[in-house]
Amino acid sequence: MGKDECKTMLDALNKVTACYRHLVIALGSTSDSQNLREELKRTRKKAQELAVANRTKLTSLLKDKSISKEDRAEYERLWVLFSSSMELLEVDMKRSLEIGQDFPLKVPTRHLIQTGMTGSTTTVAARAMSVQNMKYEADSNIDTADLRDLQCEISQVSQMMEEMEMKVQVAPWAVEAKQEAGAELKSNMSVGNSSVGVISICEEEPKEEEGGGSRDSGFASICAVVIFLVIVTVAVVLGYLVINMS
Amino acid sequence: MTINTLAKGGWHREQMSCFRKMEKVIVAMQDPDMGMKMRNQRLLITVIPHAMTGHDIIAWLIHSYSICEEEALHLSGLLVRYGYIYPLKEPRSLVLRPDESPYRFQTPYFWTSTRWPASELDYAIYLAKKNIRKQGELMEYEKTRYSLLHKRINHTWDFVVMQAREQLRASKQRRKADRIVLECQEQAYWLINRPPPGAHSVLDMGLERPNTSAGVTLNSEHYKSEIETSRRALGRNRVKSSICLESFVKYSEQYQNHDPIMQGSLPSNPWISDDTAYWTMNSEMVPIPTRLRVERWSFSFMELLNDGMGRREFMTYLEKEFSAENLCFWQACEDIKHGESSRIIEKVEMIYKNFLAPGAARWVNIDSKTMDKTLEGIRNPHRFVMDDAQMHIYFLMKKDSYPRYLKSDLYKNMLAKAIVPQETKKSVFPFVRRQRHSNPSPAQAVAQATEEDGHAKGAGQAGTNSAAGSNV
Repeated sequence: MGKDECKTMLDALNKVTACYRHLVIALGSTSDSQNLREELKRTRKKAQELAVANRTKLTSLLKDKSISKEDRAEYERLWVLFSSSMELLEVDMKRSLEIGQDFPLKVPTRHLIQTGMTGSTTTVAARAMSVQNMKYEADSNIDTADLRDLQCEISQVSQMMEEMEMKVQVAPWAVEAKQEAGAELKSNMSVGNSSVGVISICEEEPKEEEGGGSRDSGFASICAVVIFLVIVTVAVVLGYLVINMS
Repeated sequence: MTINTLAKGGWHREQMSCFRKMEKVIVAMQDPDMGMKMRNQRLLITVIPHAMTGHDIIAWLIHSYSICEEEALHLSGLLVRYGYIYPLKEPRSLVLRPDESPYRFQTPYFWTSTRWPASELDYAIYLAKKNIRKQGELMEYEKTRYSLLHKRINHTWDFVVMQAREQLRASKQRRKADRIVLECQEQAYWLINRPPPGAHSVLDMGLERPNTSAGVTLNSEHYKSEIETSRRALGRNRVKSSICLESFVKYSEQYQNHDPIMQGSLPSNPWISDDTAYWTMNSEMVPIPTRLRVERWSFSFMELLNDGMGRREFMTYLEKEFSAENLCFWQACEDIKHGESSRIIEKVEMIYKNFLAPGAARWVNIDSKTMDKTLEGIRNPHRFVMDDAQMHIYFLMKKDSYPRYLKSDLYKNMLAKAIVPQETKKSVFPFVRRQRHSNPSPAQAVAQATEEDGHAKGAGQAGTNSAAGSNV
């Protein structure tokens, strides 16, 4: 049905927006690199494709006069979600242009800010592009060449948003959200687990709590459990033998 | 969806110049050779690089910019307060301690910026993320802000929740160390952009909003306009203070006797004696005016015209001289200037009919240039259309009729007739206060003191005591 299709597309756009923001945060810092710029470019293009697809779908649904009132309310809600997503995307794109210009990669002395983030963002980008591994095939001057494309795309996005505002008659303030306050705490999915472990890192003392479930520590704990069981079995066997001996 | 005020103008919003300067300092610190010395931050298991101590920051600033320690302390304090460097040990206290406390640089995305102000949507997403991570254990003020935001941007609340979840999922994809750093960065960013209640917000400039005159380009156009302004300022008429003070002294001397504060009011000060005779005697229309009032008419023409009685007397005089139409015209023009807007047109018509039309009943004598201009203006009447003509007639009366009036018998008789109110008699009881100067003004006290001094200086004068006494 149109609604479910819309929802999946919106979820995809949402995911890409979140990943894009994550990537832009890493711009200009020590985790910035050639690869990051390429990831930004590809995520951005994907976001734009999704945006255009979403827009066409939603506008066609909203233009349809023969839908019921609840349907229309639902589509308007989806429309508000879509436009908020686009807002975030637009701002992030503009900021990535600015920061990208301020921190070029191909200069003799690179002055990237030493923020403490040194890992790569490959996995984030892979999540955005919904692929297993990212392949990097860009040229070395991507940081300057891409900026021009970025400017075009920014103006495209701005134009699209203006058209959206003009053509689609949806009153955003009339839309009521389905989730109530604190809804994110319920249906506590995969998000809760490992992140809970990272509480109070930045608080008073840099105390660290290991939570279960993150990939590396999960493996380690499984090993530990296995070793423990082996030792216990050995101890039981030895004990039995000792008792048998005596 | 927020109302997009940033659509056209926001792109041109400028970054404040002080922020740009701070950014330059931060970038200079990143130099691999000459930059800051970095250490590693050792948490329980993870090691996060790129930490620096407060002491190192100060040392670097002193070394690079050749400044004294106090200045370096101040500068680094600014860097921390504006969020370019955040503390690792006590994140909520944004001060720079010049000891071993660790600090770290903030990523460019989270730099304080007037160009990219933090939006409510972002703050809502951040609070939702924190809510998820802490399982609802937000700080008090965060909880209030959360509910406030929930009300305010309720229409995109679904998006907030969705985006919060997705952003957390995305951050899970990174290494643990990076995740920790990311959280610290975000927390530092929001501590600056949405400070807890009671904390000073560095972005709130209040009345001292700084001048973002970065938009002024110093090109030839700018300098040409500056030269023009200065040239005009040179041509302005300036009066030497010696000259204008002279005229001020003259004015003060002339009006000294007429000032009730300086000279006391006859018959008595109503505020003290509760006798309103002073007011009744000086009201707008009395049969016989006070002498002081009539004297004032001779000071300037404006004084005469401002006083209702004076105007009446003057009108009588002019009627004798057959030039009363001047004063009538002047009064009619004043009426237009100070009257109701709705009646301006009809009043202008009336003036034209009575005073300006050729062959009018009370035709006033205006020179041809002013007459032409006024007739031109009457076609589009407004409040000040009669100004030129009125000014002309005013000066005519002032130069011609007014001096003659002052010399006339009418005026002199009025002056003779005018009354000088008697001071209220001292009452029989000796210890009742004297009414006239019962509230001694400081001017009085000073005047008496100087006069007594003056008399005392003229030593050996016989009448010293009596002279001093008679002044009181």
